[in-house]
Amino acid sequence: MHITVVRRVKPLPLGNVLIPSLSIITGILLASLILYLLMNIPPSQFFTYVGEGFVSLETLRDFILLTILGTALIISFKGAVWNIGAEGQITMGMLAAAYVALFTNLSSSPILGKITMVVLALILGGAWGLIAGVLKAYLSIDEVASTLIMNYIAYYILNYLVRGPWKGKHTYGYIRTDLIPESVCFSTLPIRGITITYEEILLLIVTLVFAYVLLYKTALGVRIRILGSNPEALKAAGVNVKLLIITLLTISGAISGIVGAIQLAGYLHRISYPIETHTPYLGYTAILVAWLSMLDLRAVPIIAFIIGSLNQAGRLLQIAGVGGIAVTYLFIGTILMTFTILRVFSEYKIKLIKG
Amino acid sequence: MKDIVLKVKNLTKRFPGVTALDNVNFELRYGEVHGLLGENGAGKSTLVKILYGIYTPDSGEIYIDGRKAVITSPIDALKYGLALVSQNPQLIDKLTIAENLILGLTKLGLMTPIRKIYGKLRELSEELGTEIDPNIEVWKLSYTQKQLVEILKALLLGAKVLMIDEAATLLPSNEKRRFYEFLRKFTLKGGSVILITHKISEALEVSDRVTVLRLGKVVGTVRPNEVSIDDVRMMMFGERIKEVSYYTEEQIKVLVRNKVVLDVKDLWVLGDHGTYAVRGVSFKVHRGEILGIAGIAGNGQNELVQSIMGLRKVVRGRIIIDGHDVTNRDTAKVRKLGVGYIPDSPLKHGIAPDGSIEDNIAMLPCIAKGIVRWSYIRSLARKLISEYDIVTPSTKTPIKLLSGGNIMKVLVSRELSIARKLLIAYNPTRALDEATAIKVRKMIKRKAWEEGTSVLLVSEDLDEVLQLSDYVAVMNSGKFVSLIPKERIVREEVEKLMVVK
Repeated sequence: MHITVVRRVKPLPLGNVLIPSLSIITGILLASLILYLLMNIPPSQFFTYVGEGFVSLETLRDFILLTILGTALIISFKGAVWNIGAEGQITMGMLAAAYVALFTNLSSSPILGKITMVVLALILGGAWGLIAGVLKAYLSIDEVASTLIMNYIAYYILNYLVRGPWKGKHTYGYIRTDLIPESVCFSTLPIRGITITYEEILLLIVTLVFAYVLLYKTALGVRIRILGSNPEALKAAGVNVKLLIITLLTISGAISGIVGAIQLAGYLHRISYPIETHTPYLGYTAILVAWLSMLDLRAVPIIAFIIGSLNQAGRLLQIAGVGGIAVTYLFIGTILMTFTILRVFSEYKIKLIKG
Repeated sequence: MKDIVLKVKNLTKRFPGVTALDNVNFELRYGEVHGLLGENGAGKSTLVKILYGIYTPDSGEIYIDGRKAVITSPIDALKYGLALVSQNPQLIDKLTIAENLILGLTKLGLMTPIRKIYGKLRELSEELGTEIDPNIEVWKLSYTQKQLVEILKALLLGAKVLMIDEAATLLPSNEKRRFYEFLRKFTLKGGSVILITHKISEALEVSDRVTVLRLGKVVGTVRPNEVSIDDVRMMMFGERIKEVSYYTEEQIKVLVRNKVVLDVKDLWVLGDHGTYAVRGVSFKVHRGEILGIAGIAGNGQNELVQSIMGLRKVVRGRIIIDGHDVTNRDTAKVRKLGVGYIPDSPLKHGIAPDGSIEDNIAMLPCIAKGIVRWSYIRSLARKLISEYDIVTPSTKTPIKLLSGGNIMKVLVSRELSIARKLLIAYNPTRALDEATAIKVRKMIKRKAWEEGTSVLLVSEDLDEVLQLSDYVAVMNSGKFVSLIPKERIVREEVEKLMVVK
């Protein structure tokens, strides 16, 4: 009897559904076990919170933001360009939106103000991606390192502004900006318990349509996919690969930038110091969403909902006084780890050979 | 039976959409060269890959020396003495030849002094009749040189069955002759060889027996002295072979050919070693003309082609295509002028293995820009598939699931279809079966004669160069040592010019 590992000729049927689902379930079970062993939280209590996460209306906001971010990331990941810098791109988007809202006259006109906020967030988020793209294309600097480092540069730029030039006049001693004018705050849906806004739903739809057209209907989309498979062949075909990498990271960064505008105009309404502790690290969580979706755009909203729910469950556990934000990271860690292991099965199978 | 080293019984292997091997039975004797023939996708490579443990069969058994063998990895295969020299060399680019060989030599033990390996290597390469410097990094070698290293590796491992998958096809004829002599010596010492080649005449010349596969089934096993080449062709292709034949001169429409399409002036290009690989080459290709470059692999042909395509920097000289100076311009500019390109390593520079046939067509900027019209791309893909008999379940199947020959067909047909002004082809029929190779050559001729496309053809297959070219340039050590018009070509002269130092 032999046991061998054989590469699959064809990926596991339904693997794209099976593997993420199994990873999430196993990941949650593992997390509950760890919490039970470490902190003596009974699994029954744990699962109650997880269940509540899934039905909580609060989850909707994470769902929308994670869908937009997951979409931004799969555009980059499909080209085997690993944008780990969504956090920084969000921060720059927030900076752009805050500037428009607090320091320009545009904020007196709601529609023009909001549009300018989003557009400038796109541009600054995109610029943050573009810098990493230029570094990769022309100096071969690995984008994983550069995008990650640029997250901190973005945090510190915004922190500097909030502590200094942008510090508000009516902040009761807190280090933060003034509230942005009500005219440019996004309008919340008129349903009790819901914190999402009309504008972000619109932006979500626009992003998804844009990404669908980009990836499946344009030559750029084909080239992004081929870039992930064989960049040398693209070069020989006459595609400017450097420009492609830059474009790709710029688009990815621009979409992430929108999320910064949504966070500011949708519910934060002001920027507090230090910025990194006032946002929920969605830029990192979105990496998990992109991976679990197996880089399939259709799966992004589903995975975003699941991860958003777990995020919310972590928050509920935190409110209940069991564990801190670390509980959410525990989920992310156990799921991503299980996923990494299980993913092997979509490419390989284990065979028993008699004899 | 004692004299049978390897026996395959009822072997079946299915891939999505195709049955690659269908109940195949096969026998290999001690001391024989056994030719394996068949058109692209007939299952030859699949069979040897199973024997080498790369694929596991769906059903069937393998016996070695009469005992049932389970081969699940190349390590197992080597333990049984089976070694594969494949179409795509399996070497690590960043290491030197010697380091690559040492990696495979776990048999020698960790403590074997490197000097001893060098000694053995030199001994073997002398026996093979090739010069090889063991301290060169593999990425600097040409395709053919890499395959020689593969063969050396197998021999160093003390293989008793050598499986040679197209590895010898493109060796220069004098090296090839020595190679076949070497195989003969190897079999006289009791070794056995499974030889896959597309050259039927060669297979018949060097094999003791020949087995023909067709669509995954064994058509028959014959002795070369009992059959003619045409019999074997019928076995391989069936009725289809009757459709393929070369153009006769009378059928060819003569075009106005005075316009210069490709003008290369005193070109100097650096190779990967940091020395000049192309040393002052000048030539012109007119409209509708085929210039063939003959030469042993690694004499600057690849660097020349890459610099014309804008994939390698030109140090000195000018490249003018259709009146546009493209010296050191990017590939996009060259492609825009209507240039088709079949590169040296198709899997690396030609196609994207994860992409479908449709993706691999749509990736070209000259075919798809902005919004892709997938219906158009699909019809184009279908046209290429039917025109070149590409065996694939659909236009959406990832290319990597196709056989080597079919992958090559996708690349060649795509590039032929877009070459309006100029086609630059490096070994365009590598890995193609005879019927397809003839078809591709015919298409190249037709492109040149009917559509007026100019062709720069580099091939390590001298027959191909001589068959197609209007002019033959012999490239040796980075220079054109001779430029001969078709009428005055003497094969022996060309061969001499190729090897002279």
